[in-house]
Amino acid sequence: MIKSKSLTILFGIAFLCSALYMTPCGAAEGQLKVVATQTMYADIVKEIGKDKVDVKYVAQPKFNVHFIQPKPSDVRNVSKADLYVNAGLDLEAWSDPLLEAAGKSDLFRGRERNVDMSRGVRLLDVPDHQLSRAEGDIHLYGNPHYTMNPENVVVMAGNILEKLKTIDPANAAYYEENEKAFVARLEDKIAEWRKLCNPCKGQEVISYHKDIAYFADFVGLKAEQYIEVKPGIPPTPKHLEFLEEYVKAHNIKAIVMPTYYPKDAADKLAARVGAKVVTICQNVGELPGTDNVFSFFDYNFKQISDALK
Amino acid sequence: MRGVLCLIVFIMLIIPKEAFAQDMVALETQVKELTQMVMGLKTTVDMQQREITELKKTYEIKYQPPVPQPPPQPTPLPAKFTPEIGAVADIVAKFDSPKNPAFDEDYINQVDVRELELVLGSNVDPYSRLDATIAFSEKEGVCLEEAYLTRFDLPFGTTARVGRFLPRIGKAIPVHRDSLDTVDEPLVIQRYFGEEGMSKTGVDLTKTLDLPMPSVHQVTIGVLEGGNGEGGTAFGPARKRPTLYGHIKNYLDITDVTNFELGVSDAIGSNDNDASFKVNVLGLDATLRHIIGQDQEVKLQGETYYMNRREEAVSMDDGAGNFFTISNPGGDFWGGYGLFDVRLSSRWGTGLRVDYVQPVDRLTDGDNFNKAEVGITGYLTFYQSEFARLRAQISHTVFTTGGEDNRIFLQGTFAIGEHKHKLQ
Repeated sequence: MIKSKSLTILFGIAFLCSALYMTPCGAAEGQLKVVATQTMYADIVKEIGKDKVDVKYVAQPKFNVHFIQPKPSDVRNVSKADLYVNAGLDLEAWSDPLLEAAGKSDLFRGRERNVDMSRGVRLLDVPDHQLSRAEGDIHLYGNPHYTMNPENVVVMAGNILEKLKTIDPANAAYYEENEKAFVARLEDKIAEWRKLCNPCKGQEVISYHKDIAYFADFVGLKAEQYIEVKPGIPPTPKHLEFLEEYVKAHNIKAIVMPTYYPKDAADKLAARVGAKVVTICQNVGELPGTDNVFSFFDYNFKQISDALK
Repeated sequence: MRGVLCLIVFIMLIIPKEAFAQDMVALETQVKELTQMVMGLKTTVDMQQREITELKKTYEIKYQPPVPQPPPQPTPLPAKFTPEIGAVADIVAKFDSPKNPAFDEDYINQVDVRELELVLGSNVDPYSRLDATIAFSEKEGVCLEEAYLTRFDLPFGTTARVGRFLPRIGKAIPVHRDSLDTVDEPLVIQRYFGEEGMSKTGVDLTKTLDLPMPSVHQVTIGVLEGGNGEGGTAFGPARKRPTLYGHIKNYLDITDVTNFELGVSDAIGSNDNDASFKVNVLGLDATLRHIIGQDQEVKLQGETYYMNRREEAVSMDDGAGNFFTISNPGGDFWGGYGLFDVRLSSRWGTGLRVDYVQPVDRLTDGDNFNKAEVGITGYLTFYQSEFARLRAQISHTVFTTGGEDNRIFLQGTFAIGEHKHKLQ
């Protein structure tokens, strides 16, 4: 007799352990369930869908979105989702395995319930040559950090509106109205941010990673040298020596970096050359007071304009 | 001309001197007034000019004429009809201190490409995906580790795998050896299921349960061909006698950065050509993971397997030429391991593993069959980049025969091309 009794008991214990935490959860009746890979996408969906959507996100904002390990709870959320909003391109290498683990094929890349936020965005750093990993952790289709330019948020809002209207035509007018109001607010803020950053135009900065491209494009900054030796490759003493000379020669005032990279190399360089280390957010909610698209950009542009005054 | 000059001189002489002085004063006053007026106007014009400049700036900022751009195009994606292709090289150097004469040539010092895995995968159609892993090894030649079709969108939200795959038993077996935290599999996996774990042909179904609770529950059931991985002892060698398996994963996010997983596995199979299910392996796995920062993480993981075996009566030699029969040489065996893994930074990681396993094969281990093998393993990993990793490991093992062994491993794992790890 196989020990089926003990097997049953163990299975039961496993379920009981889980049941200890049992509380009702989930979307309200009639709401579309949306899973966004990043907090910024989740915030834009909320702005347009408001009470018609229940939004969850995968990547915790305080971590680098490239290196997220989706959890079983993410798999569960995606398997129940009506819409999956993601960066497209090749930033979120974990996105396809997550979708496959959830097993809902209409959310897969290119399918009807998958929103690729990069659609229509003017991509920077699109490779013009055969790529090799010898160049570091580079991206095949262009720089994927397009969320750093608020003008791209207008394009992203359009992508979300289009999909929401398609899968929920009954509320199309509602979504359109919300999107219009959101974009109008955003355009006013874009003018304000441009004015704030106007004195920074033409100045050069050092960035930790190549994730500054779209931010620099909006502000008018020049960013040609990075703390990383190559994308994804941490700095070496030799590289920092080179940067020290470079910063002095080009009279650079600021070193820009996200919160989640180690700050010691930037601090060391800044101390040697008398530059400031400017921390900017890459994700909505990464720091206190950056919990929506507007406060996220407010924070970032204030940081850079204060540093380059 | 001379006449005109004379006339002017005459007029000047006849005009009274006082009147001329008065005119001059009046003229001076007028000039002063005009100068003031001009200055005032100039100030006004300057002010207005400044205002116009400011307004222009604002206008330009707010209503910057759009830069002519091509109409939005879909993001360029690669020609995806070619499958994702990747290769992973796993190079291992092993330095041994063989104190046990029973060790075979595998235990001598050596450096070899333990495996070069060719990884292929792509969607077959909107409903399914094919994945394959072909391993090339210096010692074992070519081996088909995996080749399976995943079928999505089956009734009740289930997903099926058909073909040769790594079954979802516990935590170590579903992971390729090059993706483990240690150079080798835990002892309990090596002894019961195979040195490389177990990859078997069969079919399984997985479903994530939709329950109204924050914890996540995923159930997998499957039927596999019989047998073990290379060197495993849990099941018999007959592939035609199937093994049934099931796994329940119970997962809970304790906080945003801390989570706990408790899994229960069971595999029932045969130990010989007989069709009856005489071996039951019950597994329990637990993983506590805490993310400290971007590149800092602590993981505490343990797996234990309890095995119940019903063997046929066996005739044995007592060593003096006398044979005797054991009616039920089966019994209960168990083993497990505990792993403490720390990711220190983007470049460094370290950890410790403790092993305990009661071997199954009494004929090999003689009278010591009920003793256990124990081991302790420490490792240090250097992550050169996302695609290259170097690891040093030292292991101390005490075998059932009483022999001890110290081994040092140096491992390099290098990946090229596309290689997306499946979520566990």
